[in-house]
Amino acid sequence: MRTRPVVPVLAAALAVLFVASLFTGRVWLPPREILGGTGDAAGTELARLILVELRLPRALLGLLAGASLGLCGAVLQGLTRNPLAEPGLLGISSGAALGAVIAIYSGLALEVPLATPLLGLAGAFLTALLTLALGRGGGMLVLILAGSSVSGLMLAGTALALNLAPNPYAAYEISQWLLGSIADKSWDQLALAGPFMVIGCALLMGTGRALDALALGELQARSLGIDLPRLRLRIIAGTALAVGAATSITGAIGFIGLVAPHLVRHLVDYEPRRVLVPATLCGAAVLLAADIGTRLLPLDQELKLGVLTGLVGAPFFIALVLRLKRTAP
Amino acid sequence: MMRPAVVAALAALLALPALAAGEGAPPRRIVSLNLCADQLVMSLVPPGRIASITWLSRSEGDPDLLPLARRLPVNHGSAEEVLAARPDLVIAGRYTTSTTRALLRRAGVRLLEIDPVQDWDGIRAVTREVAAVLGEAERGEALIADMDDRLASLALARPEAPIRVIGWAGGPTDVPGRDTLFNTLLETAGGVNVGVLDAGRGGFDVERVVLRRPQALLRGVSYGATPSLRNEAARHRLLRRLYPQGQLTYPEALFGCGVPQAAVAAQALQRSLRDIAGSAARR
Repeated sequence: MRTRPVVPVLAAALAVLFVASLFTGRVWLPPREILGGTGDAAGTELARLILVELRLPRALLGLLAGASLGLCGAVLQGLTRNPLAEPGLLGISSGAALGAVIAIYSGLALEVPLATPLLGLAGAFLTALLTLALGRGGGMLVLILAGSSVSGLMLAGTALALNLAPNPYAAYEISQWLLGSIADKSWDQLALAGPFMVIGCALLMGTGRALDALALGELQARSLGIDLPRLRLRIIAGTALAVGAATSITGAIGFIGLVAPHLVRHLVDYEPRRVLVPATLCGAAVLLAADIGTRLLPLDQELKLGVLTGLVGAPFFIALVLRLKRTAP
Repeated sequence: MMRPAVVAALAALLALPALAAGEGAPPRRIVSLNLCADQLVMSLVPPGRIASITWLSRSEGDPDLLPLARRLPVNHGSAEEVLAARPDLVIAGRYTTSTTRALLRRAGVRLLEIDPVQDWDGIRAVTREVAAVLGEAERGEALIADMDDRLASLALARPEAPIRVIGWAGGPTDVPGRDTLFNTLLETAGGVNVGVLDAGRGGFDVERVVLRRPQALLRGVSYGATPSLRNEAARHRLLRRLYPQGQLTYPEALFGCGVPQAAVAAQALQRSLRDIAGSAARR
């Protein structure tokens, strides 16, 4: 068994993308201006403010959200032993979005800013619980069906909330918001959601050994001393914290949770535990790359992040389905 | 599609007063299907002659007219509501409620369609047009005279150097540009709109807004400021830091409606702009 330096390479790529993200925008900030080389004091101050107050929180939010999605995808695929499991496909993202929409349009978020991530989290928790309960023991297909039906329910709830929203702009705004974006986010939003994402990821990171045991089958895992109900609850809680908080700020960003684990799995010889860290790094890198892409594409309207990840991710999903059809009996 | 026979029956059933009263008599049961027309109608005729206005006017429009608007019956722009009110005149915008307008035309209801305007001359023209149809030409002239008085004092009180302003409601496309009534009001008040993009370069984000280096942000407020995401970006802490006092709000309806009261809104804006010029001078 060869060992490849997967984690260092991914970490280096992520660092490069992070720095590139700071220097990409709808407007080009010359590094000289940021360093004060142009002699225009007001311009330097403005350039620094844009860097510190706009691009840095945006890049950090992208990093955390991408890491959350990548890790959740890897853990959910390990738990369900289903290569198609992903926060989006299991309805967890839609549940988080519903919670956030309720917080935003009821006016609750204006009174208590923390309401948006908290309701997003609650929505994610409930949908994760519901989908996994519905899909348990039914095999790969039943789980995906459970996810899509729960997802449909949450979308209907979102439509209802918009229907009842007093502001007529709500429907337009939320259709934009649901496309997913980390543009124009600030430290305030990062401070609201960041801690939840970090705690959620920490919870999920600790599940590696159990996932390895589970890869052998439920009976074998139990005989190895794995408390399965507790593992499930821990994964649901971790996913709800990470994806719920991320989605409540960024909107629904699809397919990263699906793509990231698959991109790295073959590099670590398909061991669930060893997928976790690379999938996390890969998720963050893919999200940052996509966000840079939205700003570099020369379009009049800035492309929404979720649209770009969907355009890249959906064909990947199709390829995955085709491969499953070939290998499955 | 409604069959012609059905339409004819509907019209006969309603025995439209417009036909009985003839075209010459001033209308007595006026229905307005347009927020801007609501404001004109309420300013021009006594409330007793108004059959209904749009539901929007209960929260939008001229603040001075809100109490009246809340007492009047409202419609939501549907043909059923309009026909049931048996109007002898319906005023609608040229580009809205098109299904209703088509149906009203087929039912033979007298219909006045007003155009959106983008400058003071346009306001004069549309006010005169509506006033003439309502049989209130004199009242219309009085409103225009009041507007012109205000415009004269606005010209006298204009700040020496125009205040650089960007009108931005928080969304990428919420930036009123050239050839808008917003721009006319802003320039009359003594500001200059720096939120105008070159052709083909759509979309403003916070980066682009601050790099235009405006002295103030002008944020449109509508629908009773009910919760919406478009206010989220305007609350960004970079903007709060750069513009601690320089975030002005304006009633979107008055900045987009061709009504003489727009001059009142321009005066309010001028006072805010002069405050900003003053605090800049003290700094």
